Amino acid sequence: MKTKYVIVLAFLAASIAAGPFASSQDQQSLSPAKRQFVTAAPVSTVAVRSGHPTPVTFTFHIQPGYHINSNKPLMPELIPTQLKFSLPSSDMVIGRVQYPQGQLMSFAFDPNQKLSVYSGDFSVKALVVAPPSASSGSYTVHADLKYQACDNNACYPPKTVPMAFDVKVGSSSKSSSRARPSASSPHIHN
Amino acid sequence: MKRSLLFILVIIVVISGALFMVESFSRGKKGGPSVIASVLKPQDDGPANGTPAPDFTLKTLDGKDVTLSSLKGKAVMVNFWATWCEPCKIEMPWLVELQSKYRKDGFEIIGVAMDDSGQKEISDFARKMKVNYTVVIGSEKVADLYGGLDGLPTNFFLDRNGKVIDSFKGLRSESVIVDDIKKALASETKNASLAR
Repeated sequence: MKTKYVIVLAFLAASIAAGPFASSQDQQSLSPAKRQFVTAAPVSTVAVRSGHPTPVTFTFHIQPGYHINSNKPLMPELIPTQLKFSLPSSDMVIGRVQYPQGQLMSFAFDPNQKLSVYSGDFSVKALVVAPPSASSGSYTVHADLKYQACDNNACYPPKTVPMAFDVKVGSSSKSSSRARPSASSPHIHN
Repeated sequence: MKRSLLFILVIIVVISGALFMVESFSRGKKGGPSVIASVLKPQDDGPANGTPAPDFTLKTLDGKDVTLSSLKGKAVMVNFWATWCEPCKIEMPWLVELQSKYRKDGFEIIGVAMDDSGQKEISDFARKMKVNYTVVIGSEKVADLYGGLDGLPTNFFLDRNGKVIDSFKGLRSESVIVDDIKKALASETKNASLAR
């Protein structure tokens, strides 16, 4: 009995210790072209009362050493960062999407040129609105953050971070479910 | 009971320590995560120096076909770029100048636009940048042939026989580009029947 207990625990310890190693190697083995430069923080379930706009904040983290264009880059050919929503029902609206102002920065490749960029962490705010006629229930909203990253001397093809969050309409209870990896299409959970 | 708990604790510490050392060793030996990445992705390296540049036929901005191998006998710079790439914009005026300067010696730049945007946007941008070299519309297939193009700009320098003599990703000093152009121009054409 004791021996089994020891083996199980040892195996558990090995798995815990090996976990971060394996994942860090997996991540590092990806070329920049295939790697995500931005990750989305999980979003807690948004409880919405019909007819009352409810604020929601989406937080993103940009990998150190990289920057992405802000939502309003200073040059028309640069690709703006944009959060696009796929709404599960006509009973719901996302409004007033507010992007942070970009930091005006210049980079080694052109010290004289200022660019409007995000680096580090940034948040996008929006309002979730369910009209008074909205049906009560739980909905999953899917969203895609589109961005284009650069480092100090190269730029990488545009990428998309898929994300999803739950919206509970007509209920005051606040669950703590987390955002899930994106599915292929919006779903309604009634 | 106490002895068995101590035994379990020792096993956990030993295994965790061993795995931590393996990880640290791998990182240290290869010089950090980025180098581990480069070691693990040989498929992304593109054509190596001394090997023939993968051939392609792509459309110019006015719809004509350009085949890379048809430029044998000339020194060629294949410049992968995009309108959304700020570092690419920095080197474009240099390339315009270098194309003018070395054209008479048999030097050609092929700018391969990797944009998803339309031909008009690329044409307008090239016109704005006063590009005087051939610009073609790139494709995923060509990107794959050239190692997946991790980032832009990515430049390949080909000698007069169509072999790669140097390549690099990201913006480099103009002098580095000039050195590579001179090296490519200095190469001899092996097949005398190839036109210069």
